[in-house]
Amino acid sequence: MSLLECRQVTKRFGALEAVRRFSFSLEKGEILGLIGPNGSGKTTLFNVLVGIHRPDEGEVVFRGESISGLAPHRICRRGMAKASQTIRPFQEMSVLENLLVPGMYGGKLGLKQARERAAAVLNLLGLEDRGRVPSGKISLAERRQLELGRVLMTGAELLLLDEIMAGLNPAEVERALGLLEKIRGEGKTIILVEHVMQAVMKISERLVVLNHGERIAEGKPEEVARNPEVIQAYLGRPYA
Amino acid sequence: MKALSPNKGLPVFLVFFLALAALPLLGVEGYRLRLLTLLFLWVSLAGCWNFMSGYTGYIDFGPVAYFGTGAYATAVLMIRFDLHFASALALSGLICAPLAALVGGATLRIRGAYFAIATFAAAEALKQVTLEGDRVAGFEFFGGSHGLTLPAAPDSEFFYYLLLGFMVLVIGITHFLEKTKFGYGLKAIRESEQAAELSGVPTFKLKMRAYVLSSSLIGCLGGIEAYWLTYIIPDDVFNVMRTIQMVIMTLLGGMGTVWGPVIGAGFLTLVGEFLGAKFVYDYLTILGVVIVVVILILPRGIMSLMKGRRGETV
Repeated sequence: MSLLECRQVTKRFGALEAVRRFSFSLEKGEILGLIGPNGSGKTTLFNVLVGIHRPDEGEVVFRGESISGLAPHRICRRGMAKASQTIRPFQEMSVLENLLVPGMYGGKLGLKQARERAAAVLNLLGLEDRGRVPSGKISLAERRQLELGRVLMTGAELLLLDEIMAGLNPAEVERALGLLEKIRGEGKTIILVEHVMQAVMKISERLVVLNHGERIAEGKPEEVARNPEVIQAYLGRPYA
Repeated sequence: MKALSPNKGLPVFLVFFLALAALPLLGVEGYRLRLLTLLFLWVSLAGCWNFMSGYTGYIDFGPVAYFGTGAYATAVLMIRFDLHFASALALSGLICAPLAALVGGATLRIRGAYFAIATFAAAEALKQVTLEGDRVAGFEFFGGSHGLTLPAAPDSEFFYYLLLGFMVLVIGITHFLEKTKFGYGLKAIRESEQAAELSGVPTFKLKMRAYVLSSSLIGCLGGIEAYWLTYIIPDDVFNVMRTIQMVIMTLLGGMGTVWGPVIGAGFLTLVGEFLGAKFVYDYLTILGVVIVVVILILPRGIMSLMKGRRGETV
């Protein structure tokens, strides 16, 4: 049984079909890269998966059960969580408190257990001395890490990461990739939306390419990078 | 606020509470006792408003709906059903709960000005029910604009201790919010509702709980005031000025903090009384200027004077 299955999912905004009859499936432990030009429907697809948008047609099946139409907090508690560059942290709370919320709610932990897991996550992220800092006062790179920490705290087994490396410098991207490797080592499954191609190519086992809401290619990174349609639509020149 | 952080604050709070409880025994009575009782009432009201609106960021502009409902429920239950005050009061709180669930169910999905407008409208609508209900339905129940007279009330000390107890309860609830799952969930809603939802927080359910709890307690406070004053009319117990006062007190003190409503209500009540005695005709003007000045200097409330108030004490 696949961990996640999208069956003919369509999401429209008025006359615009942001995602059109999109199907794919994902196995446990995989790292899947989702790429495509701006406006191709990647973020919309993520929002459909986590319940921010309800699909107009089709169905999303997670762990063998349909989750279409469930509220985001329910989907989070079932084990699918999204991190995004556009999500603001809880500004008036400290970095540590930011992690307690997903730990207690998404992860169903008690306050004490949530603190313990938060300490472990801060360690993993290299933020162990930033716990008490108000989250409104941390750097961009730290905010991205905190966002990653937020989804880790939910204990979700499937992580949807929406451009969490955007705006990071090459050294920070390297660090983030190292983190993702570690997270995968813990048995998590990851779908990655990213424009930093070097990062996506390096870590993904499989790529899905979206254009105008439809899948135009799928396969191993090196195959996809040579696909003429993908080059035409997104890469601009052969990448690999 | 370091001196009053959860652990160190308790002894300070206890001493303060015991001192207040001892005042009537030390001979405080008459006007001063009534002033303190009024102060407890306002601290409680502002506190109830705060743990809904201050913590979730949903600005409730109709809390007076439940104050008036509670006042009328207590009055009607005592007069028309001959209930004892205690049972009438408890029932008044219980009546406000489903009412708040109804209003909240319809309005807590909308944010910002719309939520404020919707709650404001709900309060005005309920006022009309008590004002015109009798005439429309053709019976004698709410007394229309003539209001209702309740049975004679016990002495001032009764209300002093009742409202002191109530104030402690409200402060206790808010204190509980500071470091518990429920409180963190509410604060997360205030900071970013979408991030909260994506972190597994059942946002609607939490808002409903806070709103229903806050509204029921405000309903009880309305019942207490009705019995205290023994005479109520719709224009007073549903007066929008009461809502505004709860909001201003909390803003003055600091929204979303335990002690903000206490300081704000204390400041406004005492300064108001002082100015009222000194400048009988102009005191409201002066009070207005004072409020504007405080908010200009301290936009986040008097509590922001205490350093490191937020996000540091974990």
